[in-house]
Amino acid sequence: MNSIKKALHAVFLRLEQLCNLAFGAALNPFVHLGALGWLLFWTVCVSGIYVYIFFDTGVTQAYASLEYLSREQWYLGGLMRSLHRYASDAMVVVVVLHLLREFALDRMRGNRWFPWVTGVPLLWFLYACGITGYWLVWDQLAQYVAIATSEWLDSIGIFGQPIARNFLDSAHLSGRFFTLMAYIHIAVPLMMLLFMWVHIQRHAHARVNPPRALGLATLATLVALALVVPAISQAPADLDRVPAEIGLDWFYLALYPLLDVVSGKTLWLSLVGASLLLTALPWLPPLRKPQPAQVHLDNCNGCARCFADCPFGAITMGARSDGAAFEQEALVDPAQCVSCGICVGACPTATPFRRASALVPGIELPAHTIADLRAQVVAATEQLQGDARVLVVTCAHAGDLGTLAESDVGVIAMPCVGMLPPSFIDFTLSRRHADGVLIAGCAAKDCFDRLGQRWTDERIANQRDPHLRDRVSRDRVAASWASPAQWRQTRESLGQFRRHLRALSSADRPVTVGPAWQALRWRLPAPLRIAGQLLMLGSLALLIGWFASRPSYAHLGREDALVKLSFSHAAQPLKPCRRFSPEELARLPFDQRRASNCERGRWPVYLEIDLDGRPVHRATHPPAGLWNDGPSTVYTRFRVSAGRHRFDVRLRDSGRATGFDYTGSATVSLVPGQNFVIDFRGTEGGFQFGQPLSSGSATRGTDR
Amino acid sequence: MSLLEWRDNFRIGIAEVDHEHQALIDLINALHASLCADRSAERIEAFLGEIFARISAHFALEEKDMQVRGYPELAAHKADHERLLDDLRDIMDGVNDRGVLDDGAFAQRLAAWFSDHFSSHDVRLHRFLTT
Repeated sequence: MNSIKKALHAVFLRLEQLCNLAFGAALNPFVHLGALGWLLFWTVCVSGIYVYIFFDTGVTQAYASLEYLSREQWYLGGLMRSLHRYASDAMVVVVVLHLLREFALDRMRGNRWFPWVTGVPLLWFLYACGITGYWLVWDQLAQYVAIATSEWLDSIGIFGQPIARNFLDSAHLSGRFFTLMAYIHIAVPLMMLLFMWVHIQRHAHARVNPPRALGLATLATLVALALVVPAISQAPADLDRVPAEIGLDWFYLALYPLLDVVSGKTLWLSLVGASLLLTALPWLPPLRKPQPAQVHLDNCNGCARCFADCPFGAITMGARSDGAAFEQEALVDPAQCVSCGICVGACPTATPFRRASALVPGIELPAHTIADLRAQVVAATEQLQGDARVLVVTCAHAGDLGTLAESDVGVIAMPCVGMLPPSFIDFTLSRRHADGVLIAGCAAKDCFDRLGQRWTDERIANQRDPHLRDRVSRDRVAASWASPAQWRQTRESLGQFRRHLRALSSADRPVTVGPAWQALRWRLPAPLRIAGQLLMLGSLALLIGWFASRPSYAHLGREDALVKLSFSHAAQPLKPCRRFSPEELARLPFDQRRASNCERGRWPVYLEIDLDGRPVHRATHPPAGLWNDGPSTVYTRFRVSAGRHRFDVRLRDSGRATGFDYTGSATVSLVPGQNFVIDFRGTEGGFQFGQPLSSGSATRGTDR
Repeated sequence: MSLLEWRDNFRIGIAEVDHEHQALIDLINALHASLCADRSAERIEAFLGEIFARISAHFALEEKDMQVRGYPELAAHKADHERLLDDLRDIMDGVNDRGVLDDGAFAQRLAAWFSDHFSSHDVRLHRFLTT
C-alpha cells in the first residue's frame, strides 16, 4: 500500500510541477480539485434544470424532446445538454483525481478520516446520477444501459420480479420504471448535495470555490467542447433489436462491458468490497497516532485564538473548569486533532521572550513544545556566520530541506509552519540570531494541514492576530511555498533572499529590491504560460470529448441475435387444496372461515431449453417468498448466430419425477441484431415465441 | 508602597477582564518592587518578557470580548493596545542591546499607560457595556 502511495505521490508531483509552470502555483488545478468538483456539480445542476424544462419524462416522448433541444434549439438547449454531459464527465475526472491525490498525500489518515469516509457514498451517488442520466435519453445507449443495469440489479435477487422484464421487448416496455428513473436522477443529486455538505463538516474555512480565473477557464473549456462536439443522442431505442455497437461514456460506464464477462453478483461483491476497503484505508497500518495538542490552563485565559485558527474543528471553547476567573477555556477533541500545531502559532503566550516563568504556552504539542522550539532556533543559528544569516523554518511536508543548511543558513522543522508564533520571527531578528527568516512550507494553496499557510501569510501581513509586529522589517522575512518537487525553486528563493539581505546590510548601497515579504517565486514568460494553459485545458477537453462516447463497445457480434426467455410462473402447490367440511367450518373461529384449506409451498419450476437439439439451459427455479409459495421467476438470455434455429423448451411445475407439464417448440429465422423473446403464460397456452417469423407451436402436454 | 493601585472605577464590567486587569497591576507592582531591589539586565529582561506575554494574552482576551459584544470602537481601542506592545518591545530591545535600562522610570511609564488607558478607552468600553 505504501509503495503504491509513494509511486502515486511521485506521479502527482511531476504532473503538478507541469501545471505549476503553466498556471502558476495559486491557480494550479490540482490544488483546487475539490472546489472544481463543487463548481462542476452546480454547472451540471443548472444545465440539468434547463434541460428538464423541455424534457418529456414519457418513455416514448423522451427521445423526441431531446432531439428538439439538440436540433431546433442547439444554440441554448443543445449547449445546455452538452454542458450537462461534459461537466458530469469532468466531475468524474476531478473526483477521481481528488481521491487519488488525497490518498497519495496521505491526507486521510487517522483523525482525518471523516471527509474520506463520507466521500465514499458520494462516489456511489455520482455513478447513480450518471447511469440514470444516460437511461433517460432513451436511445440505443439508454437501451443498453437500461437492460444491463436492470439485469445487474436483478442479479442481487431481492426484487420479486426481474426489473429487466420491463425492457424485454417493445411489447413488454413499461414506462413506469422509466419515469422512476427520472425521479431518481433528480433525487440522487440532492443526496449528493447533502453528503457534500457533510463531507466538509469537519473543515474550518472549507475552500469550496475555486479561484475565479480557474473556474472560468474550466467552464470556458467545457463550453468550447460543447460547441465543437455537441452531445447528441444515438439512434432511438428499439427493444426488438440489440444494437451491435454502442458509443459508451467510459467515465460512467467503464465497468458495464465487464457484465458480459463476469456475473452481476461478482461485480456487486467487488464494488462493495472495494468500497469497504476504501472506507477502511484511513486506519490501515502503518498508522501513527501523534499526541494531540494539550491545553495548559495556567496559561490559557480563553482568548479563543486557537479555536479560531484550528483547521479541523478540533478545538471548542468550553466553560472554565479550574475555578479561575475566566469565562472559557480551550478544549481539544483528541479524536479530531491532527497535531499540526497551528493552534500553538495562534497562542499569545507562546512567545519566546518569556524568561521569568517556564516557557509553557496555553496550548502546545507535547511532542514539539514551544520551549524546544526556542532551543532549536538558538541551536540552529548559534554557529551561523556572515552578514546574511538565514533561519529557514520548514514543515514536515515540504521535503527534506535540511540539506539547505550552510555556514550562514540554519534550518528548523516543525509539523506545520503555522505552528510558528509570529513573535518567534521578532525574537530571531531582534535578538540577532539571524539576519533573515525564510518560511518554506508546502506548495502554494496546498498546505497539508489546510490553513497553516493562509494563517502564516495573514499573520505576517498583519491581517490576522497574532500578527507579526509592525516594527519587524518585512525586508527580512520571506516565504517560499513550494512542493518537494520544487526544491530547486526553494533553493533559488533562498539565494535570492540572501542577496537581498546582503544588499540591505551594505550601508553604501541603497536598497533597490522591494520588500521580501511576498512569496518568492519565478514564472515562465507569459506567452509560454498561456500556451501551456491552452494545451492543458485542450487535453482535458480532448480527453472528455473522446471518452464520452468512444471507443464504441460491441455488445453483440455483428452476425448474432439475442434470445431471451423470461417469465414468472407459479408452480403447482405441494399439496392440493382441500375443501373444509361443514363441521370443520363450524369449528373455525368466525373470522377465519374460508372455503378451502391450502397449505403453503409450491414445487420449483424446472426448465430445459434446447437449441437445434443441443441443451443450452437446464435449471431448477425455486419459488419466491418466505413460505416458498410465490411464483418462480426465470430470466435467461443467450446469443445465437443469425439464421434458422429450432427451439425446444420444456417445463415441469409439479412433483412428477419424469416428463414435463408444458412443452413448446418453434423453428424461427433470426436476423442479425434481433432480440427474440420466448415468453410463458401458464394459464394462456404455455410457451409463446415472440414475433414468429416462421412456424411455431406451443402445446400443453401431460406426458411425453 | 505600590506603584499602581486598583480602583473600583477601573472596573469595566466584564468579570474576566477586570480580573486580568488586577493581575496585571499586581505584576507591574511586582516588577517595580523587584527593580528597586535588583537592577541586573537579566532580571529586568526576564520580567519584561513575562509582562509582554501576559499583556499580549490579556489584550487577546479583551479584544475577543469586545468583538463578541460588537463594540464599535474596537479598532481605536486595539490601536492603543498595539501602541503599548510596540512600546514595550522597544524597551525590551533597549535592555537587550545596552544591558541596562536607560530610563529607570519605565515602570512608571507602564503604570502611566495603564492609568491613561483605563481612564479613556476602558471608560468608553464600560459606558458601552452599561448602556
